[in-house]
Amino acid sequence: MSDSPTPPPDSALTLVEEMVLLALDDATGDLRPMPVMALEYSLASALLADLALAGRLDSDPQQLVVLSREPTGDSLLDDALATVAASPEPLPVAHWLRVLAGDSRALEKAARDRLVTRGILREEKRKLLWVFGVRRYPAADDRERVEVRTRLSALILGEDLPDPRDAILISLLKASHLVPHLFPEAAIQAREARIATLARMDLVGREVSSAVEAIVTLISSSALSLRV
Amino acid sequence: MEIVESSHLEATVLALIGRLDGHSSPGATERIDAVLARGPARLVLDLSGLEYVSSAGLRVFLMAAKNAQTAGGSVVFAGLSPAIREVFALSGFLDVLSVQPTVAEAAVQP
Repeated sequence: MSDSPTPPPDSALTLVEEMVLLALDDATGDLRPMPVMALEYSLASALLADLALAGRLDSDPQQLVVLSREPTGDSLLDDALATVAASPEPLPVAHWLRVLAGDSRALEKAARDRLVTRGILREEKRKLLWVFGVRRYPAADDRERVEVRTRLSALILGEDLPDPRDAILISLLKASHLVPHLFPEAAIQAREARIATLARMDLVGREVSSAVEAIVTLISSSALSLRV
Repeated sequence: MEIVESSHLEATVLALIGRLDGHSSPGATERIDAVLARGPARLVLDLSGLEYVSSAGLRVFLMAAKNAQTAGGSVVFAGLSPAIREVFALSGFLDVLSVQPTVAEAAVQP
């Protein structure tokens, strides 16, 4: 992965950055609780979705295809594009999610650094048990997070059609089990069917959801077998 | 992809023939936007000749419907083959988009 945390000048947040921002607890700056591999798969998916929205990739249930190898100018996206484009033949979305999820720690770190550079997060360093250095990322400017939550809340509570990008974001938030952390419980219960519909509108989002749920089921069944 | 424009009662009909994927999506978007730019309208997308739709193609449909909704018009989808209907069902599009069996029914849908 390129060691270039700086986002392109005057650029809007990428889905990767937006996912990292929403995955962090507003008050503490720590990652919210999520199932194993949920953030990894969601960030990988966000990369593919950003590239799809930039006209570089397309997909169907059988395969992910490269439409254009032309760099986007965003190093995080271009590294992922180069990885996918290096394949001699088109492969399924699920394959690329596994590949890109393997690099998601670096991706998450790069996205956090960008959010710090943009002035949205600030980095706090402290010692845990006086020995281990840990970093937290509380908000420096919460307007971006409030804006996206307000926009998605209106979408969930209303009947307007989503634009494709917001449908992808809701899909990733649902797959990562982040919805209950971001929206009021009453709204979620009242609009469960609406959230489910919005979440399955994007193919890559559905693939993430399947992958995360498969892991959750596997872990649950392993835990049950250990108890027996 | 070939796109053929016609009229049916008050509706403008765009028949999409062939494959709607990442390569053909920009052209399809341009044609749809041109119809919507004429003012609030009923646009029928006739999909009876559509052989394949990818994720990029589905985004074209979603944006068309959203842009029409915002402008006070509407987009109705007609003539879905069983394969395209299955893609719509899987994506939840049957729940949020207007879908009719035929162009004639789509053109008069209230």
